[in-house]
Amino acid sequence: MLTKRQKWLNWILVGFLLVLSVFFLFPVLWMLANSFKPDAAITADMNSIAAFIPPAPNGSFFENYVSILFNTKFLRYMANTLFYAALLILLGIVVNGLAGYALAKIKFPFRDQWLLIIMMLLIVPTETVITIHFLIIAKAGLLNTVLGYILPSIVNPFNIFLFRQVFVSLPDDVYEAAQLDFCGPVKYFFTMVLPMSKTVVATVSVFTFLNVWNDYLWPSLVFTSSDLLTAQIGLNSITSNDNTTMGQTLAVITLVTIPVIIIYSLFSKQIVEGVTSTGSKEG
Amino acid sequence: MRRKNSIMGMAFFGPALVLLTLFLFLPMVLTFGFSFTDYFALNPELTHFVGLENYLNIFKDELFVQSFFNTVKFVLIIVPLQCGGALLLALAINHAAHCKKYFKVAFFVPVVMSLAVVSTLWMQIYSPEGILNTLLGQFGIDAQPFIHSAKQSLPSIAIMSVWQGVGYQMIIFLGGLQNINPALYEAAEMDHATGWQKFKDITLPELKPLCVFVFITVTIGAFRMLVQPMVMTGGGPDHSTYTIVYDIYETGTVNWEMGLASTMAIVFTIFVVVLTIIQNVLTRDKEG
Amino acid sequence: MSFIEFKNICKKYPGADRNTVDGFNLNIEEKEFIAFVGPSGCGKSTTLRMVAGFEEITGGDLLIDGKKVNETAPKDRGIAMVFQNYALYPHMTVEKNIAYGLKNMGVPADEIEKKVNWAVRILGLEEYRYRKPKNLSGGQRQRVALGRAIVKNQKVFLMDEPLSNLDAKLRVSMRTEISKLHRELGATTIYVTHDQVEAMTMADRIVIMKDGIVQQVGKPMELYEHPVNQFVAGFIGSPQMNFFSVEVEGNTVKFCDGNRLALPEDTAKKLGGRQGRMVLGIRGEDVKLDEESIRQYENNKLEAVTSDTEVMGNENNLYFTFGGSQAVARVSKYEVSQIGDRISFVFLPSKIHFFDAETGVNYMEG
Repeated sequence: MLTKRQKWLNWILVGFLLVLSVFFLFPVLWMLANSFKPDAAITADMNSIAAFIPPAPNGSFFENYVSILFNTKFLRYMANTLFYAALLILLGIVVNGLAGYALAKIKFPFRDQWLLIIMMLLIVPTETVITIHFLIIAKAGLLNTVLGYILPSIVNPFNIFLFRQVFVSLPDDVYEAAQLDFCGPVKYFFTMVLPMSKTVVATVSVFTFLNVWNDYLWPSLVFTSSDLLTAQIGLNSITSNDNTTMGQTLAVITLVTIPVIIIYSLFSKQIVEGVTSTGSKEG
Repeated sequence: MRRKNSIMGMAFFGPALVLLTLFLFLPMVLTFGFSFTDYFALNPELTHFVGLENYLNIFKDELFVQSFFNTVKFVLIIVPLQCGGALLLALAINHAAHCKKYFKVAFFVPVVMSLAVVSTLWMQIYSPEGILNTLLGQFGIDAQPFIHSAKQSLPSIAIMSVWQGVGYQMIIFLGGLQNINPALYEAAEMDHATGWQKFKDITLPELKPLCVFVFITVTIGAFRMLVQPMVMTGGGPDHSTYTIVYDIYETGTVNWEMGLASTMAIVFTIFVVVLTIIQNVLTRDKEG
Repeated sequence: MSFIEFKNICKKYPGADRNTVDGFNLNIEEKEFIAFVGPSGCGKSTTLRMVAGFEEITGGDLLIDGKKVNETAPKDRGIAMVFQNYALYPHMTVEKNIAYGLKNMGVPADEIEKKVNWAVRILGLEEYRYRKPKNLSGGQRQRVALGRAIVKNQKVFLMDEPLSNLDAKLRVSMRTEISKLHRELGATTIYVTHDQVEAMTMADRIVIMKDGIVQQVGKPMELYEHPVNQFVAGFIGSPQMNFFSVEVEGNTVKFCDGNRLALPEDTAKKLGGRQGRMVLGIRGEDVKLDEESIRQYENNKLEAVTSDTEVMGNENNLYFTFGGSQAVARVSKYEVSQIGDRISFVFLPSKIHFFDAETGVNYMEG
């Protein structure tokens, strides 16, 4: 039960947070409102509250969006990124999942040492090896190829570790029962282990998607051909074009953000769990 | 049976091991090796062993020194604002009896946006005739150059980064606050503790390991500053927003001076590893 | 030739200083129901898991149906197993759980359907057919685990403490059900349990183990009446057999509280002239309080004071201190007394066991 004074204080706190959140969100509100306006209107509205209000819906309401979607390769960039994300999610779950399973359940030589090495790899900042990745991919003649983009990103020590932590608590007797049901280890992994660990598979998939979707540095190095660009790099190439208007720029960045918002609203539980688990020592 | 396990283990671990070797172990070994050479990727035949020369040279290299200090400045601005901001927001939202859900989402929205998107958006916001200057004008403040001046560009980018990232740490703190056993507060209530005492004697100690974690991850994150200046200022004006990682990246992939880039990478890695070890030591103490 | 033959089976874990299972010899006939029983850590589960193929056999030979299977993969040994924690596939329905093995064996779909129908029917799982394990009670899960084992038509059933996670009442009813299933299917069954009641009620023969070593193999009543050592005597039967440390002098047994007992001729003969310190054992139901018995063994009448009673009507236990130890007598409802009452009783001489004080060997079974 709150006392009268506490109720008062609480209203002040809520009011303060409401005002703060509006100030905090003003760039986003401005982005959304003005992505529907021609540049002239954006400049004209700048001085009034209209800067944060979308224009009245009329024939040209979606014009910025339409021109981005149909006059640039933006849709193609989005499709590319979705394709890369799908590939990396699939390969990542298979490669990191299998490794995590081996580290959790199979007694192979030097297993504990490998686990320790994987844990130490978590510390290494990836930016420092990216130049070497670039060198390797370039030497292999894989610049400007999907393979060249995908290869270095498949394996992920953090995901291996995450899978391992989840798999280690799977009961052994289920594996033994499956053996007696004529289910071999590979089949067991795909038809039992992964379905039994839906949560971690979902978490890894979501984070892989977000990483691929938001990654900037690596695709900007590997891709120069405009047909292969990811959404983030495509966004940069569109907005740095002098012919692109401010309204169109705002429309592009809104479009790039939409899939991420969809993912966040669908998987907010996994994401919040993932975020909080990085904060706990078990993570 | 043991042999079967070895075969199966390597079959399962093998694909990851091959990729780890190619894209983590090999690069780490190469980075370390290159750092003692003058490896120039466009002309690898002319590579010499130069010993520790690179390590001495990068600290004489004005640009590297500047990028180093720029990075430190980023860290000094971002870390207190982002950690403190996140903690205050989490505490306030945790206390608020209304609109909790809205606040959580509202302050998390920028986290959802990618660095490239945020950078592009804020280029518009920070533009000389942009919305921010217009808003400031309403309060009678003169138009500021923001990212277009060597003086303001770094703090401008830093504040934008805080704006983008603070929601993430806020969620971590909120998780930690919700994990505190409410019985502790009830017990304190019985012991006639005031609000401030409850905060000081229960909330803070319970959150301490999380604070260390957030502090270190934000610090490491700030050390890694790259995409924002890359998109917004190209490291300028006058290299005022040039960072260590930016320098590594340009030296390696634009100028192809892998030897030098590797040396910078090693120095940078040592920084990050030391910070991580400090974090581990500090949080382990808390639990021990 | 027996159906399953254990020839000097040993198990030593790497780094362990002694064998977990040591020199295990046993022949199991076809269709027999064998229980492995013993305290936890006695090696009974390890032995079972060696039969299943989940533990490597580090010494000796294991033959199933005349073939050495030491190196055979579990799935090729012709066995089905019921696990302690059921080991159901959590993401599959009851039906899918039961059908999974058949599907992997390449059994045609209509036959799978038939078998699953049969199993679901005899286990009473019809209404749970499309549920997942997490929506079932412990007893229902246990039934699914049984169903998964019986549909595969394997010749050997292995059960690893299958009832230990059920509550007492359910355990009794599942006991009967498993026995019934065994009679109907006739599969050779090895049943591991730490509960001697399960072993006594279900098994054709019982293997008692301790510290990795087989203590005794035999039919339930054989073990009850003729335990080869003090461990077996104490493990089988509830309440536990009474033990008294005694001194035998001539034909007289001296208890440490000064009580004496004169041994009749034939009991003394079985003792074979052994003298000195040993352990006397007698079961609670062989401690007699009825007038007729007391009259019959008048000269060996003993006395004590009731310290505690457990009166259930049909089973009544009187506890008393005698001969320096806590002892129990199992009496009929006509002999129930109150705490503090003085009681007279006799030991049925033919049911007295004498165990070696050091090795525990039963002198009477020599």
